[in-house]
Amino acid sequence: MTDTAPALDRLRAGAPPRNHDARTIAALTANPGCARRGLLDAAGVDKDAVARHLGFGTPFGQSQFAITRGNAFEAQVKADGCAELLALLRDRLGLDVGEVGYDDLDDEGGREFRHARTRKLLARALDDAQGTLFDHPLLRLDIGGTPAYLEPDVIAFQLAGRFHVVEIKSFAVVDGQAEPEQVAAAARQAAVYVLALRELVADLGHDPQRVSHEVFLVCPENFSNRPSATPLDVRPQLAVLRRQLDRLTRVDAILNGLPPDLSFALDDGLGAAVRTVEARYAPDCAAGCELAYFCRDEARACGATGALGRGVRDDLGGVDTVEAALDLARGAADPPAELAETAALLRTAARLRAEALGGAA
Amino acid sequence: MTDGLSEARATVHAMSPDVPAAAQQERVAALRAAVRRAVAAGDRTAARTLRAELRAAEGGERLRAERDRADVRAQAHRALELLGVPAGPKLVGAVHAAFFAAPIPAARLGVLRRAEERAFRKAPNARPFYVCAALTADLLTPARGLLAVSTWPLERRVVGPLSRRTDFLTAAVRVAEHAQHADAAQHLLRRFAAGIPGAAGGAVGTVDPADLIAAARAELDVHATADRRDRARAARRAAGLDAAERLFGSAHDRTGRPHGERR
Repeated sequence: MTDTAPALDRLRAGAPPRNHDARTIAALTANPGCARRGLLDAAGVDKDAVARHLGFGTPFGQSQFAITRGNAFEAQVKADGCAELLALLRDRLGLDVGEVGYDDLDDEGGREFRHARTRKLLARALDDAQGTLFDHPLLRLDIGGTPAYLEPDVIAFQLAGRFHVVEIKSFAVVDGQAEPEQVAAAARQAAVYVLALRELVADLGHDPQRVSHEVFLVCPENFSNRPSATPLDVRPQLAVLRRQLDRLTRVDAILNGLPPDLSFALDDGLGAAVRTVEARYAPDCAAGCELAYFCRDEARACGATGALGRGVRDDLGGVDTVEAALDLARGAADPPAELAETAALLRTAARLRAEALGGAA
Repeated sequence: MTDGLSEARATVHAMSPDVPAAAQQERVAALRAAVRRAVAAGDRTAARTLRAELRAAEGGERLRAERDRADVRAQAHRALELLGVPAGPKLVGAVHAAFFAAPIPAARLGVLRRAEERAFRKAPNARPFYVCAALTADLLTPARGLLAVSTWPLERRVVGPLSRRTDFLTAAVRVAEHAQHADAAQHLLRRFAAGIPGAAGGAVGTVDPADLIAAARAELDVHATADRRDRARAARRAAGLDAAERLFGSAHDRTGRPHGERR
C-alpha cells in the first residue's frame, strides 16, 4: 500500500502524521460508511486542528473524573505485581498457583526498543510457556500502510498456552450486568489489541489463533471496589475491525474520485477541501469524531436525514433530505418506482398526523 | 494608612514561627497575599514591613522542607526495613502509617529516589544508607515504582518475573508478624489478604494474622526456589555495574537501549 503514501502525505500538506491509538482505531469501526473520516484518518490528518480551524473546535476527550477513577481502579487491581488480579484469575479460571510470572514491559526506553522487548519476551513465552502476565506490552498495527504503535493499559495473560487480553475498566458490573454501550466500547478496544497481538504472534512464526478471541473484562463488582472478571467474546468486533482496516488500506478508491491537488492544509481553502470528501453524519458521531460538529452543521444546512439519527436515515432509505421526504409525504412529488414504498409510508404517516391533530395543524 | 497592615496581621495572627508544616505554608501564602494587597493599595510602609516578615517566614519554610526530606528518608527506610523487600511508594507509605502512626505522602516518596541518586553521585557512600532502586533482572534498569535500601544484598534488590509475587508474599508475612504484637494494621492485612487466596478465614471483614502467614508461606514454598535462582543469576550480572548503577540502575542510552543489556 506504499503507492498511496505520497498522495496521503500530500493531503496532510507536510504536517507530521497523527498517531493512532486503540480508541481512534476502535472509533473507525463505529461509522464505516464515512469516507471523510476514513480518508482523514488514513492520511493521519490532525482532525482536531482541522475542526478548530473551521470554527467547530470542541473540548474533546474523556472527562477528567472518568480518567482519574479509571486510573485509581487500575492501580488497585495491578498493585503489588497484579496481586488482586492473580487472586481473581485463580478464583474464576482456576489459574495454577505456580503461574505468577509478571513482566512489566513499560520501560523508559524508546518505542522501538520497547516493542523489541515485548517481542522478545512474548517469543520466549510462546516457545516454552514461560511467564503469565505481561503488563503494558507495546504493540504495532498496520493502519493504512503506516505502522501505528499501540500502548495498551492491558495485560496479555497466558493460560494453558493461549494468550488472553485483560482489559481493566472502571464501570461497574451490577448483578452481572453492565451498561451495554460501555461494554461495546471496551470490546471494540480489546479487539484492536487482540488483532495487534495476533499479528505479532504470526510474525514470530506461531499460530495467530494462540491469541484467544475471548478477552477478560475486569470491572468493579456491584457497588464495591472489588474487581470481577467477565469473559467477552470479541469475534464480531474483530470481523468489523478487520473489514474496516482492509477498507482503510483500499483508501486509493476514495482517492481516485478526488481532485489531484486536494490538501487539508490549514488555510482558507480548508472548508471547501473537507466538503469535497463525502461524510455520513449521524448524531452518535459526536461521541467519537472531532469533526462531528462541522459535519452536523453541514448536514443540517442541507437538511440531510442523517442529522435526525441513524434510525431515521435507515427508515428513509434512498430519501436523502428532509425536504424531499416532506414533498413525498404531501404528495407534491411523484415518487420514482424504487421509492414508492417509502412514499406510501410517508403519506400514511402524514395522514395519521393530520387526523391526530384533528385539523389543528 | 495602617489598615492594610493590621488587617494582614489579623490574617496571619496566632501563627507562631514554630507551627506545623501546613500551617507554615499557609502563613507564607497569607503573607504573600497581604504584600500584594498592600502594594495594590499603594501602602509602602505596610508593604515593607510585610515583606520582611515574608522573608523570615520563607527562610523557616526552606529549613522545614530540608528537615522534611530527611524525615521522609528515615521514614521510608524504617518502613522498608520492616517489609524486608523492595516495595512501591503506596505500600511503604501505608506500612509507615499503620506501624509508626504517620503516613508518608506518595508524592514525597516519588521524588525521594531521584534526590538520593543525586546525593550519591555527588558524594558516593557519604551516608550510612540510601533509599535506592530495585533493578529489573533482564535489563538491570531501575524497576518502575519500586524502592529498596542500599545496604540490602543485590539478590534482594533485583526483581525477576516471579519476584513481584514472592516479595508480595514475604511482605505479607512480615507485616502479619508485626501485626500479631501490635494489633494494628487491620487495613493493611485486608489489603494483603485480598491478593492471597485462602488468607481471609474466620470472621467476615477481619483477617487473622496467623491465617495470612500460613497462606502466604504455603504459596511462597511454590515459587521460592525458582525465584532465588533467577535473582542470583541477575545479581551476578549486576555485580559488574559501577557503584551508582548498582544502586540506581543502569541508564538508557540515546537509542533507548539500556547499558546493562550489552554486558
